[in-house]
Amino acid sequence: MSESTAVAAKGATRRNGAKGSNGAGGGRSARSLIKLLLVAALLVVLLALPLYVPEFWLRTGFAVFGAIVGAIGLNLLVGTTGQLSLAHAFFLAVGAVSYVFVSGEPGGLGVADLDGLSFPPIVGMIVGVLLAGLAGLIFSPIAARLRGIYLGVASLALVFIGIHVLNAWTSVTGGFNGRTAPEFSLFGFTFGNRDPELYVIGVPFREAERLWYLGLVLALAAYLFARNILRSRPGRALQTLRDSEVAAAVMGVNVQGYKARIFLVSSMYAGLSGVMYALSIGSIAPESFGLELSILYLAMIVLGGLGSVNGAVLGAIFVSALPLVFQRYADIIPFVGGQGGGGLAAGEAARFLFGAAIILVILFEPAGLAGIANRITGRGRARARPGGGASTPPPSTDTSTTSTSPSPSDRPAQGSTT
Amino acid sequence: MTAGSPVEADVRPDIPPVEVDNVSVRFGAIKALSGVSFTVQPGTIHAVIGPNGAGKSTMFNVLSGVYKAAEGQVRFGDHRLDQMRPYKIAGIGVARAFQNIALSAGQTVAENLMLGRHHLTKAGFLAAGLRLPRATREGKVHGARVAEIAEFLELGNKLHTPVGVLSYGDQKRVEVARALCTEPRLLLLDEPVAGMNAEETHRMAEAILEIRSALGISVVLVEHDMGMVMSLADRVTVLDFGRRIADGTPAEVQADPEVIRAYLGSGDEIDPAAAAAHSSDTPGTHS
Repeated sequence: MSESTAVAAKGATRRNGAKGSNGAGGGRSARSLIKLLLVAALLVVLLALPLYVPEFWLRTGFAVFGAIVGAIGLNLLVGTTGQLSLAHAFFLAVGAVSYVFVSGEPGGLGVADLDGLSFPPIVGMIVGVLLAGLAGLIFSPIAARLRGIYLGVASLALVFIGIHVLNAWTSVTGGFNGRTAPEFSLFGFTFGNRDPELYVIGVPFREAERLWYLGLVLALAAYLFARNILRSRPGRALQTLRDSEVAAAVMGVNVQGYKARIFLVSSMYAGLSGVMYALSIGSIAPESFGLELSILYLAMIVLGGLGSVNGAVLGAIFVSALPLVFQRYADIIPFVGGQGGGGLAAGEAARFLFGAAIILVILFEPAGLAGIANRITGRGRARARPGGGASTPPPSTDTSTTSTSPSPSDRPAQGSTT
Repeated sequence: MTAGSPVEADVRPDIPPVEVDNVSVRFGAIKALSGVSFTVQPGTIHAVIGPNGAGKSTMFNVLSGVYKAAEGQVRFGDHRLDQMRPYKIAGIGVARAFQNIALSAGQTVAENLMLGRHHLTKAGFLAAGLRLPRATREGKVHGARVAEIAEFLELGNKLHTPVGVLSYGDQKRVEVARALCTEPRLLLLDEPVAGMNAEETHRMAEAILEIRSALGISVVLVEHDMGMVMSLADRVTVLDFGRRIADGTPAEVQADPEVIRAYLGSGDEIDPAAAAAHSSDTPGTHS
């Protein structure tokens, strides 16, 4: 870069910076107030929704909450830390199976002879999260030593192991046919249709309504936990090691330790998501936890925006709700047929749409739905770089050796002795 | 400006010398460093110079634990840097600013600087995720210190700007500030003024002198800008083809025939402009 262009670029960024800080200084309090009001309004709407919305939407909502938890967990690993994992489905399965086994009743119908520990569902949920974490911990030495795509390939194996175990370990998983998930309850309050009968302003609060609130609380907790992590010491360490492992290590970050720990955290998120999945469907089956589920979760975070908690939420809503909505409104939506009817099946139609959406996102908005949302709210302006995408990785390529190896842009040294 | 001698500077008592003892580094059949020795006296500014490919950055990577030495030792007080992992080296007060900026572009200046506090802080996933009071308090205390350091390097009004939108010179200063945020006893600066214009170079040189005199720490400097090296450094080690060809005060080194040969391939007196032409993209600017 010549001196004059360097100065010009500096001037440009100065102006840019001044503009940004003016805007922030003048409107910061007003903007944060508006933001606070919006968040409060959103919460009120979410809390009041079960009073007005039919059961289908509430059930979809609970499935979405479960997906949100899983997507946030995966985004911490893939988006924030830059470690690709295809094993997310496996950790969901560990959570789901642990829940149905720990809280399920022994017995069984016909062929399958099922074991169960009959613990209260909350114990099953906690054990599900912990066992998923344990599985993550066992795999984490591998996760800590591999980076990026290599981890993706290594983690692929877990999915196939998981499917095999789900099919083979019939007494725990119910085998090929799967197993029903016990109803959730907390201190004697069941999240089912009865016991106790419950009415709020004349609206019967049955399973769907109750689960909605459970999902809302769990998703909110998962959201806040992840936001807090990203905004503090561990989050900064993770983002830096994504951008440059050497820089992170030299600044005092135990790179392997952090890779292992974020893998653990991510698998615990997946475990909780798996428990919620079992509750949402009401049963588990091996076919639900295949590679396709891992891919769907990756689609969520790519669509939503890598490294952004809000993005994970938006992506999870989009990807997990779309097939359900298509199924429900198959008659109305063009080209989508109901079961046995003409046109595309709902799931397939949704997949075509994801595919198209992912291509569009990668082409036009690499920061994903979160990037679009930021742009609308104006938050993205400060983050965006002049003339570049906001998520362009920094020049992290090999921070260690450059001055010894002349790059192509080097001017030939005059009077070089070498 | 003239370099203050280490005697008048306030050397902190807890700063040991850095003893590089017969260090060799190999990449396959290539010897990037062979038998290099030098000592960085506490509280001095020690420059490592040499033509491209001389092994300066390799030396830095050994000092910060990124590369392992095949032979030799690097001692920092009782610690053997050649046997420690990079993050442990950071933990004993060795900080490094990277030549080609290794900051997180999407994070703000403050966030990047806070990374420097990593080994001084404790909050883990649980404490941070649950916002336990001690994590919040820790963040506040260290945030204040970070703001101070940013102020020192004239970054005070840019704390909340994402690093990616800053000018090149500012980014370089964030690099140095981040290294300072680790509260180092030994500061490794890898070409801190490479690619900077004259004014920025001048400001950076002043900042380095001030760091040394205010904090009393040792500074090791890899630099191409001869004017800067000669005016700043208390001592200079010259590398060429992975070997140490000279070691002494700037005046001694400038007069050394080996050095002149390495830089110019002739018996001429060393000319800063010609020497600076070795640098990759530095305009020939001197403070």
